[in-house]
Amino acid sequence: MIEASLIKAAAYLGAAISVGAAAIGAALGEGYAAGEANAAISYRPRYSAQVLTTMLVGQAVAETPGIFGLVVAIVLIFAAPSQVPLTKAFAYVGAGFSMGFSGIGPGLGSGFPVGSACQGIVRQPEMSGDLMKVMLIGQAISQSTAIYGLAVALALILLA
Amino acid sequence: MEELGKIWVWSIKLAGYQLTFNVTTILMTLIVMGILIIFAHYASRNAGMVPHTCQLIGEFFVGNFWKLTVDALDEEMAKTYFPLICALFMFLWCCNVLGILPGLEEPTKDLNTPLGLGIMGFFLAHYAGIKTKGFKGYIKEYFQPIFFMAPLNVVGELAKVISISFRLYGNIMGGSIIIIVVSYLVYDLILPPFLYGFFGLFVGTVQAFVFTMLTLVYISVQVK
Repeated sequence: MIEASLIKAAAYLGAAISVGAAAIGAALGEGYAAGEANAAISYRPRYSAQVLTTMLVGQAVAETPGIFGLVVAIVLIFAAPSQVPLTKAFAYVGAGFSMGFSGIGPGLGSGFPVGSACQGIVRQPEMSGDLMKVMLIGQAISQSTAIYGLAVALALILLA
Repeated sequence: MEELGKIWVWSIKLAGYQLTFNVTTILMTLIVMGILIIFAHYASRNAGMVPHTCQLIGEFFVGNFWKLTVDALDEEMAKTYFPLICALFMFLWCCNVLGILPGLEEPTKDLNTPLGLGIMGFFLAHYAGIKTKGFKGYIKEYFQPIFFMAPLNVVGELAKVISISFRLYGNIMGGSIIIIVVSYLVYDLILPPFLYGFFGLFVGTVQAFVFTMLTLVYISVQVK
């Protein structure tokens, strides 16, 4: 009985670490993108609609690590089995660490391309299609570390 | 709060294998398909120089996505892939927005739908790559910049499928969970309509657009 509640407690701790740490990077990256977009609009107000679209799309992509953290937290809270050996408790906390800390860097890092793309659009508006393409590719690749974190976290929860 | 983990599942045994069908997802996908087919019927019927409402909405979608597709691919390629891109966005948008109607659920809330669409995009992009560059040129891409980067390039390609589908799934699933939890906390007073507006309409539209754009970008990376 005590074992089961210990394992539940570990799952809750892991969920808190997962979403708490992963939110840091995503929030910083999105805030940076919004700041750059504002600077870009003040520089050339005529292109504010294009800058807004780019900013929203980029922020939606930069939010992904935070969403991964949320998914892992939800799995830990609602779907993690508690009738398992005590070693699983460490796996749950480890899953939280894995997803949480691997979410910081990609969240922050995929905010930078958004800011630069916003600045680039007001400087050369005819390049906006290419800029958005490169921005999306760069973000998708910079988020691969978050995907490794997610894979390890899910493996720890479901397989370990 | 108990309804979170429960799904309506229909399982049959066939030749020693257990087949599991998620009935809610299938039903909701069929509803979305029905909506789109009816919309397409009304949009193309009596098409004329002075557009009626349905035709106007259809032309709005087609015009905007034609521009985006031509920007990403060139004119010749765009003719091949544009119908898919436009249809993908309309399907995903209907899926993501379906949740704001009472009693209905987003088919994209189930990981299988985004994963299926992501795998479709993956195969399509690689098919386009092989077709334009030839098999030799396509394989050569994996050994850039140096030959021992090949395993990393393969992992990177596979990670694209995971990231594109988990992004859509996580956003829609997270939104619906937040709506359930907050509605439970405030006893369904005042807040839920605004939450449906934000997560259903705004996040749903942005995520459908992001998924479509990423599929388009993956195709354009392969063909260039």
